[in-house]
Amino acid sequence: MNSKPYVFLARRLYIALLLFLLLFAPPSLAGAGGPPEHGYLVELIDKALQAKLASEREWHLLLHYRENIFGGHTSEQDDPGFFMSPAGKTDPQAELDATLKQFFSEELVGRSNQPAQCAFIARYHWLQERLQFDDSRLPKLACERFDRWFNDFEAHSITLIFPSAFLNNPASMFGHTFLRIDQKGQTEQTRILANTINFAAYVPPDAGIAYPIRGIFGGYSGYFSTYPYYLKVQEYRDIENRDIWEYRLNFTEHQVRRLLMHSWEMGNAAFDYFFFKENCSYHLLALLEYADPTLHLTDEFLVWTVPADTVRLIASKPGLVSGIAYRPSRSNVIRRKREALPVGERELAHRITQDLGELTSPAFAQLDLKKQAFLLDLASDYLRYRSETADSPPLEWKERNRAVLTARSQLRTPSEEFKVVPFAKQPELGHKTSRAAVGGGWRNNDTFEEVTVRAGYHDLLDPEVGYTPDAQIEIASVSLRHYNRMDQTRIERATLANVLSLSPIDSVFHAPSWKLNVGMETIKHNECQLCSNGVMNVGIGGAMESRLLKREILFAFGEAEANHSRAYEEQHRIGGGGTVGMLVDVTDQWKIMATGTYLKYGLGEQSDDVRWFVGSRYTVAQNWALRLEYNHRDHDNDVLFSLQAFF
Amino acid sequence: MRKGLIIALAVMAFVGTQVGIGFAMGIADTGPGCGLGKEVWKNDPHTDNIGKQMLISTTNNPIIPLQAFAITTGTLGCKNSGKVWVEERVNMFAFANFESLSQEMAQGQGEHLASLATLMGVLPEQHAAFFAMTQERYSSLIKTGEASPIAMVKAINDAIATHPVFAQASAR
Repeated sequence: MNSKPYVFLARRLYIALLLFLLLFAPPSLAGAGGPPEHGYLVELIDKALQAKLASEREWHLLLHYRENIFGGHTSEQDDPGFFMSPAGKTDPQAELDATLKQFFSEELVGRSNQPAQCAFIARYHWLQERLQFDDSRLPKLACERFDRWFNDFEAHSITLIFPSAFLNNPASMFGHTFLRIDQKGQTEQTRILANTINFAAYVPPDAGIAYPIRGIFGGYSGYFSTYPYYLKVQEYRDIENRDIWEYRLNFTEHQVRRLLMHSWEMGNAAFDYFFFKENCSYHLLALLEYADPTLHLTDEFLVWTVPADTVRLIASKPGLVSGIAYRPSRSNVIRRKREALPVGERELAHRITQDLGELTSPAFAQLDLKKQAFLLDLASDYLRYRSETADSPPLEWKERNRAVLTARSQLRTPSEEFKVVPFAKQPELGHKTSRAAVGGGWRNNDTFEEVTVRAGYHDLLDPEVGYTPDAQIEIASVSLRHYNRMDQTRIERATLANVLSLSPIDSVFHAPSWKLNVGMETIKHNECQLCSNGVMNVGIGGAMESRLLKREILFAFGEAEANHSRAYEEQHRIGGGGTVGMLVDVTDQWKIMATGTYLKYGLGEQSDDVRWFVGSRYTVAQNWALRLEYNHRDHDNDVLFSLQAFF
Repeated sequence: MRKGLIIALAVMAFVGTQVGIGFAMGIADTGPGCGLGKEVWKNDPHTDNIGKQMLISTTNNPIIPLQAFAITTGTLGCKNSGKVWVEERVNMFAFANFESLSQEMAQGQGEHLASLATLMGVLPEQHAAFFAMTQERYSSLIKTGEASPIAMVKAINDAIATHPVFAQASAR
């Protein structure tokens, strides 16, 4: 396709042009450190061109280039200071040439204000390796800031950290990921001292209601940062009460160094932050890819990057993960410790948190030393949990915690290690994010076939392995149904968002349960046999857990609902009511849910509604499940059997 | 309260870096220097007051002011003049983890306590003795620590210096 003489000519022309530019460009362009050795620069540019470095994967990884749909490249990076050429965002070759040129200069560039050799140290090292820089003609600059920064990590290996989903904060609904740079000589006890590499959007404190919209559509800039891991543990484990999973990655020390060099460059970078795709997880994958260019990670995510998916992807690469560690949230530590106690002692521990007088009671005094220590530790965990999750905790909780701890210190015995078994297994064992289903069934006196596609993420009846228990987030789901007798194909259901969080209440935990649903469904109402009905429903309530079978959750909601459909007089109705229900794990594979709802509508069409739902799921494999669901409304019965696949 | 503390740390450093040269992006670069630590210890702050002053944000993940820890500010990469940075690191750690430390000192073990011991140069084989010592002196250490976590670190240091087991470690 490309005949050689043309390429040759083009290259000569290109070099002549460059020479011209270099010779006649104003001196300021040549940098503060004196004019570069033009001949050598041209030589290097020529060498790079011959070796086609600008089209190599590593160069594209360094500059975060992505192939455009219609050819060419664009960098995902959005800070102009990241590029040495004004055309750098879309022109890998121009950027490479300009980068080489800038290496001759001591001019401070980028947001980090360093000479290019130091600000873009990974680029420098890669080009040096490929082009074999002659240090006498392109003097190597000392990069003390980088060296100091790098040495402080005492880097030995990399761990991918996954704080699990946290429903009560929309930004954390899908979990989060970041990297921990493990130190030489680090032990299990001192890993909190390691530093992390984290990518997050910078959201101004007064963001207000624009926050979710701008967060989704790239209205904020994302930056890389390095928090000490102990601050991250505090944030996720202590305050938000999220379990943390740690995946030790099998990287060589050389790869760890590459990752840190590129991270250092990222100090000059800013990316438009897109909540669903170019988010925390996505950009971490890019760092990992640079550490080991044989890994292909970001290519796997086209539309969205769900943190749990990235964990699944990394765990699926043979030999990449060398170990998995679990760090329970404080609330789960409390739950497991309570489970380990007989009822009497469990209650005693709880009474201590309310009345310090219990410490001198015979019931407490008669316990052996180890048991006393255990109860006091549990009491302190609980008091800390209360203090750290409340908005304005009363001072007396803190004082009571001090008193409990003082009593604890007087026992003069170290606490025994308590192993916490996670309630939810690690995320890579869970089903994939998207779901497709085919099924069929009966509705009243008709039969139908149905196809459903759901973008994400998990509902209460889906296989629970690897997901936050009792939490549901359904986003973007559409069901297409064909009714055989009526010979009609229609959109049966569509969900924009259907989020539900059940938090079992006991003597220790009191968080409310809540739900929110926005979507449409098909109803039979008044004269209309099949009518689309827009639904908006919000509810708040409580849940309780029991262990009669395997595990059951009973719940009740008070709720408000607004409907819009041509089936109603006045086209709409607004009302309120309640739902009671239960969710039952019968076996590891089999789960049942049943709910009953009563709603009375006072605005718009005056009417009321009684609904029943019974659903049953059987897990066939990690990504396959069978469902049988029965929906009842006034004179409207619907039975659906379906096969679901996660992908 | 923990919320307040984390925010205090982050915001304090943020405010600190703003004193230097501000950049268009809102990310300031103070160049080398312990952005965070420097600001935390400048006035040996009373934590509660700072917590109140700084409580202007929430800790929800993307909302944490991350300037303090931006790679360009170099919370790492402090001027590594040996002991000064080591001390600052210990103080910073004690300040940020005071609640966990106080719990673990009473319990005679824990990762925060082990990490503090490591930062203070206590050898792994002496950790058990270190834990026993902080458990024994719990009341007085916490009283000191509530006024100022830095003073607590100093008190632990003094205790180490006079403790037969650690005499060697502190002499390092």
